[in-house]
Amino acid sequence: MHSQIETIFDEAENRYLRTEELNVLSQYVDSLPERMETYRMIRDRELDIMQKVADQLQVEMAQETVEALERSIKNALLALRYCAIGALLNDEKFVQDRLLSWLEQRMHVYSTEAIDTALYQLLNQELRQVLGIRYMRYLSPMLTLVETALFKHPPMTASANGR
Amino acid sequence: MISVADLLVDDRIPGNYFATDAYVRGDLEMGLLENRQGGRLLALPETLLQGIYSGLDKETGQAARLVLFNCGRWWGKNFYARFCEDLTDYYRTPLADMDMVEFMHCLKQCWITHGWGKIDLDQTYQHRGFLVINIWNSPFARLALPQSQPVCFLEAGILSSFFSQLTGRDLHCIQTTCESMGADCNRFILGLAKRVEPAETMVTNLDHDAIMQQLCHH
Repeated sequence: MHSQIETIFDEAENRYLRTEELNVLSQYVDSLPERMETYRMIRDRELDIMQKVADQLQVEMAQETVEALERSIKNALLALRYCAIGALLNDEKFVQDRLLSWLEQRMHVYSTEAIDTALYQLLNQELRQVLGIRYMRYLSPMLTLVETALFKHPPMTASANGR
Repeated sequence: MISVADLLVDDRIPGNYFATDAYVRGDLEMGLLENRQGGRLLALPETLLQGIYSGLDKETGQAARLVLFNCGRWWGKNFYARFCEDLTDYYRTPLADMDMVEFMHCLKQCWITHGWGKIDLDQTYQHRGFLVINIWNSPFARLALPQSQPVCFLEAGILSSFFSQLTGRDLHCIQTTCESMGADCNRFILGLAKRVEPAETMVTNLDHDAIMQQLCHH
């Protein structure tokens, strides 16, 4: 959505904005206080949330090495930080460009899919509790983006082939 | 128990240092390109690369390959030093503590972001003492003068000195397939000079797999 707003500004010299284009802008502006609140809550509760996830993950995945679990938790911390910014800016492309191909390759290389599946389930649960539906709706699309990239596709090759 | 707070280093979780949009920064007014730590980047226009290729060909003929290879070695030496420095600064871990997978992962992203194509490591022959590097979409192959043999001498030089420094062994590098000759990617064999050198004469008449077979039986 953020890039959609950017393209609106490119038209400045050609014409005035149509009502529906202004609506896009006002929807974003209206949602901004809640987006900022979402961001603040994640920022302030980051360690809390992830520690709970980590504790449960260790119980659920007792057969995995601590090293593997720690690696996945670190990746999830990174993902959460990017998703939080993504939610603030309402910009999926930011999450896509900065994070996804990086995470996908790492998961592929270390084959941590089983751990990550459990981890993201726990993380979602925990976030829903902390944020509630009201704020979770801003974060969910970003998290879904990450989960889709991690669990439903083979590692990215086509879009990261260096061209 | 895992402590999440301990996983953070100075409250950071380092991610993708070479993420293209974060890494390359430009200052239009000054006409400068910089990386995210303020190091200057140099843009190589296609015309310049083509000019270097044809100038070298005119001036030095056959020796152009050796010149390019040696330039590559020099470039690779500095590139390795800078690459390691950047990684140590950003990840705040000594290189010795970084595992090979992470290191290669960064190298791949670095290669893409600098516009050199996509690089990958093939470890099939590692137990026989050879590393195979594949590169797709190389601008150095695309812009070179067509020849009857692989043309990426610059990259071969870069790879030989980069991996020599990484492994602490003096490694030579020979290219076996080339995009300029219609191959799907550029393949490079890395290994000790005396073991890789026989490949030099095989390149014109054998394919990559056959060359690997021969090298492994030497």
